[in-house]
Amino acid sequence: MNPKSHPLNRRTFLRGSGVALALPWLETFAASNQAKDATPKRFLSVYHPDGVGLPLKSDPAWNDWSWFPRGGEKDFELTKVLDVLQPLRSDITIYSGLSHPAARNVHGHSNADQYLTGAPVGGSGPYQNTISLDQAYAEHAGDFTRHSSLVMSTNGGVGGPRGAQTQSFNREGRPIPAMNKPKQIFDLLFVTSGKDAAAKLARSKSALDLLIASTRSLGRQLSKHDQQTLSQYLDAVRDTELKLEKAQKWLATPVPQVDTRNLHLDAEPKEARLYFQTMYELIYLAFLSDSTRVATFQLGRENGEGPHDLLSMAVGLGSAHGLTHAVKSPGGWQNLGTYNRYQAEEFGRFAQKLKETPEPNGSGSMLDNTLAMHGSASSSFHLSRNYPLITAGGKNLGFTNGRYLKFGTGNEDNQAGAGIVSDEGWTGKMAVEELPLAKLFVTILQRLGVESDEFGGQTGTLTRV
Amino acid sequence: MPRILSSQLQRRLATAGAVLLLLGGVGTLHAASTPETPVSLETAREQGRAKSRFLKDSPQAAQAAQASEVIPKANVAVFQAAVGPMLKKNCVACHGPEKAKGRLRIDQLNPDLLHGPDAERWREVFNALSKSEMPPEDEPDYALATADRGRMVDWLSAELNAASLVRRSSQEHSSFRRLTNYEYNYALQDILGLPTTPADKLPPETTFPDGFNNSSDLLQMSAMQFDTYRELGLKALKRATVSGERPLPVTYLISMQEELTKAVEKAAKAAVVKDVKTSGKKQNPPKAGHQAQLVQLETGERMVFAEGEAQPRTNAVVGQTPPLSPVVLELPRGRELKLDLDRFLPDEGTLRVRIRAGRTSMNPDEYASLRLIFSAHTSNNANFSQVVSTHDLPVTAPASSPQFLVFDIPLGDIQRNPFRHLATTFPRRNEFLHIQNVSNAGGAEPLRVVIDHIEISAPFYQQWPPQTHTAIFFASKHKSDEQAYGREVLTRFLKRVWRRPVTTAEVDPFMALFAKYRPGFPTFEDAMVEVLATALSTPEFLYLTQRVTPTKSTSPAQISALELASRLAVFLWSSIPDDELLQLAEQGRLRAPEVLTAQVQRMLADPRAQRFSQNFVEQWLGLDRMSSVTHVTDSSLKEAMVEEPRAFFEEVLHQNRSIMDFLHSDYAVVNERLANLYHIPKVYGPQFRKVSVTPQTNRGGLLTSAVIMTMNSDGKDSHPLKRGVWMLKRILDDPPPPPPPNVPQVDLTDPAILKMTVKERIADHRNKAACNSCHSKIDPWGIAFENYDALGAFRTQIKEQPVDATSELFNHQTLAGIDGLKRYLLIDRQDQFARAMVHKLTTYALGRPLSFADSADIDRMTAQLRRSGDGLGDLIRLIVSSDLFNSR
Repeated sequence: MNPKSHPLNRRTFLRGSGVALALPWLETFAASNQAKDATPKRFLSVYHPDGVGLPLKSDPAWNDWSWFPRGGEKDFELTKVLDVLQPLRSDITIYSGLSHPAARNVHGHSNADQYLTGAPVGGSGPYQNTISLDQAYAEHAGDFTRHSSLVMSTNGGVGGPRGAQTQSFNREGRPIPAMNKPKQIFDLLFVTSGKDAAAKLARSKSALDLLIASTRSLGRQLSKHDQQTLSQYLDAVRDTELKLEKAQKWLATPVPQVDTRNLHLDAEPKEARLYFQTMYELIYLAFLSDSTRVATFQLGRENGEGPHDLLSMAVGLGSAHGLTHAVKSPGGWQNLGTYNRYQAEEFGRFAQKLKETPEPNGSGSMLDNTLAMHGSASSSFHLSRNYPLITAGGKNLGFTNGRYLKFGTGNEDNQAGAGIVSDEGWTGKMAVEELPLAKLFVTILQRLGVESDEFGGQTGTLTRV
Repeated sequence: MPRILSSQLQRRLATAGAVLLLLGGVGTLHAASTPETPVSLETAREQGRAKSRFLKDSPQAAQAAQASEVIPKANVAVFQAAVGPMLKKNCVACHGPEKAKGRLRIDQLNPDLLHGPDAERWREVFNALSKSEMPPEDEPDYALATADRGRMVDWLSAELNAASLVRRSSQEHSSFRRLTNYEYNYALQDILGLPTTPADKLPPETTFPDGFNNSSDLLQMSAMQFDTYRELGLKALKRATVSGERPLPVTYLISMQEELTKAVEKAAKAAVVKDVKTSGKKQNPPKAGHQAQLVQLETGERMVFAEGEAQPRTNAVVGQTPPLSPVVLELPRGRELKLDLDRFLPDEGTLRVRIRAGRTSMNPDEYASLRLIFSAHTSNNANFSQVVSTHDLPVTAPASSPQFLVFDIPLGDIQRNPFRHLATTFPRRNEFLHIQNVSNAGGAEPLRVVIDHIEISAPFYQQWPPQTHTAIFFASKHKSDEQAYGREVLTRFLKRVWRRPVTTAEVDPFMALFAKYRPGFPTFEDAMVEVLATALSTPEFLYLTQRVTPTKSTSPAQISALELASRLAVFLWSSIPDDELLQLAEQGRLRAPEVLTAQVQRMLADPRAQRFSQNFVEQWLGLDRMSSVTHVTDSSLKEAMVEEPRAFFEEVLHQNRSIMDFLHSDYAVVNERLANLYHIPKVYGPQFRKVSVTPQTNRGGLLTSAVIMTMNSDGKDSHPLKRGVWMLKRILDDPPPPPPPNVPQVDLTDPAILKMTVKERIADHRNKAACNSCHSKIDPWGIAFENYDALGAFRTQIKEQPVDATSELFNHQTLAGIDGLKRYLLIDRQDQFARAMVHKLTTYALGRPLSFADSADIDRMTAQLRRSGDGLGDLIRLIVSSDLFNSR
């Protein structure tokens, strides 16, 4: 809720309301179990497929184009890949030595599916995912806002098993379709559904009842196998029912007003720069208006092909996925590094904007109340280990930044798997020790206010974070 | 190269070629009989046909033909003869009863990978062996000779691939599936009678790189997808129906006489301001043929005119035939008139643009057509434009008796100026319509298009209420009784949507919904549209159903006649059946062979059949890969490239030509742009047509079409590996196994490698032990195409060196360039290609992956196809009358 368009913020409202809480239309506010803390805690995850450049020390490109910083926790030095984040140095933390154990021997092309879930989705056979970090938080924070989360990707939709085009998975492990058109995202966030929304909602409910009955009756006439297929339709209808229930709660609240003049809502991925910035701007506006506190954004897809793999055109380079394969071509490391650098630059621009915006409903800047994570589940070529991770912000949540945190042992200089350009890496044995990334996720969840000691099959938090 | 998921390869069935591949280096191979002097491709085709196993009458031969349908068996013999002893000698000491290092007892692994429990352990063994990790280097006693390692790796690779194939093909696959996005879109159009529907908002479909988009395994449903169906259904219904009075259209009429007057005044003013010296002097009049110009036909006066402004006229009448204007607009090739329409066009509705145009010359080698472009220029750095006409309309009439060309543009679907409703003037609110002459005119006195009359009107309605409305809300004597009429409307609509008759009880819930909705809406129609939208989100509309029939029919798995009608319509029209099909099904006559044949004939002759050729060809050949090709900068060339295979397919289909024409034909189906690329003379105009080609053209068939060569290039040069993989996957239905995990990249930082030609480079790569077993099966196919560059143009030299397109297949068959390749396919691979074609078309027709259980049917159909002469039309008829097509 934008405080300007909606003068009654929750804190002042609750102080003055007292017994009014018993009224049914206040359910939304009553649902909050941290009602006294009105400052939103936000979470964003940006995922980029294909990993980063990790040349061998002996390679001339190592000095400039190796992704990981050099040096210690505080006195670390950024290479050319991340030097664009230098101005934000005291607001970011860079991690090494973290990965999801179940994926360490799985080919990198299936990585996007498990980055936020840590699920053992494997490389073949039956597929089952689990809830993603953002959705675990959205279950907690989603009721405070009109939209429980904002799920975006450049490719849109859900993709296929092991070829996810979304970072978000619900409690059942079902993928949540990502939106990829800025206009559609904007309309969802800021265009009101009209004055007859309530009537429309009631109509939708009746229609869903009819559809459920009609599906059941059809199901009875189908084979067992086909009933399975049809159950997906029933799930979709049920998910829609849940959405309607939530929409009902928000009917009374007007949508925030947003100035659209500087938004390029028709931008497409092939106009990479404009598109990147528009998508980030939409996340910023969604956060600023408190339309949601949870967002994910996936840049391209693993093993990309097609028009959406051309994001690297933003820096004048062809096929992003191809860059990782071409590191041994002349200028290869530099090309991949340049693209990764551009990704960091846009992420930094977004963080900077949050930093410059005072928290509308609390102390500090918006960045202080937001944890923004940027990363990939591959480091070197298709190698699902030592994820290159950055987090920005979260000071008010308890994160101490300005650090380069190395976890695990035996890989202090990030040379394990460096310089590989074949799939030998991911099938090979782990010679170094890495810590489970899900432990960082538990830390994040706890700091966001979720009382949980477990995520993705891992218990406990990471020390030093 | 991207690692291909193993499931991709699992798709293929055991074709003859696959069996050969699986036997790899161990089986005995028939060396193909290669005559000393190569025979002509025509002779090759006859020879190949004579060799067909499917055409042999003897039982032995029939049995041999059956061999191709055999389910792969574990090749335990090779294990016992060769692999087992080697393992014993080189591995068991560490991985046996004594040590069992890595907890691996290699002596206990079941050598039947296809049915035994140890396939995953064997994969580890395969990885270790193929990477030369094992036996360890520091154990010289157990060192493995390269040749022995090769034999073991080959055996394991073949067995592992067969095992994954068996796994996939043993699964049950059902044709019960939801409509694809494009099928949904067409179905909506056909139900509502709309020319277009805004279906681009459906979530992107999952595409399977090796299969068909309509595969039941891939078509998922999600809440977002479902939501979008509800939204689109309602939107489309609202577009099809109307309420209230006929809306007054916004109309622009462009009078060339007025424009000339305005332009003359403007020029005079500009001349005064701009240059005092030249004022009063007559400017040199513009010459014909270079710019868009207004011409006063009586005086010959000419004025450059490329941009005009127009304001709506009240009470303007459109659709008339006014007298010919003495002033006309002349558009040379590539020129356009850009009309500023200000900001008055409505948000929704049809924009009708009616233009009277003619040609300045009737030279049959020249063509001209008109194209519409819509644009806005909102601020200094922000503008966009979009071609809004679906097709360029050809101008065929002489200027002396011009013709009317009519474009209908859906205003709600095109990109509009988002600022058009602003009260302020910045960003700018105007919208522009461009009328462009797309032409091939050239020479001394090139053809121009002459336009004397332009009408622009929106929203345009042919009649009121429009036919799309009366099709749903038809005339009825019950019209005043909402209950009775509502039931009539719903019964008719549901029948169309569900593709079957509906019972009263089935209409009841919809009537109940209507009763709930009615109080919230001012009119019957408004409320009913909401109910109809719900019908458009029912699973029976969105899914292709196949009921488990309680009654005993001839075969327990046979689908009903109504379901057959739906299956036919989705196959050949990518949509729902029409009334005629449904009626025949209801009467129980659809299955009668002569009725079915006649219906297929009718369906293929219908314009809706173009959806079949387009979607099948695109998915069969993997043409979507063109969307990520960036090196074709000429958009008309790119369009022509993508269009060619479809045009070729339609030629073969409608003339019932042999499917062997896809491998080679003595004709090509091209338009002018492609004919230029192919050096085929005397083809003018954008339309595709069949033309004879000589052997010197190096064309004919699909294999060498520009689109195939272009999408299988790396953007700069040919890419033999991609071309080889494409051949195996798409044409021979024998996709190569995915690369093993240890594939080293071609190291281009090595200067020695950088210097090599492409062919040398891949030969170098192939010579590495780990790569050889696969690449020897892929590369030769691709190298045969080396005469075609990254755009598919024929070449005889690469970097001033003669092209070397000679290669040798793994069975020592030499392929001398494209002719050698075609000759080999025609002589030795006709059966395999025929079966591949049957397999692919049947997969598409059924909308599901095929399994081993379907293999016998596929063979039977292949034999029938071959006996009937390989006609593509016959193949369609074979498929629709097959047991497979008629079964669940």
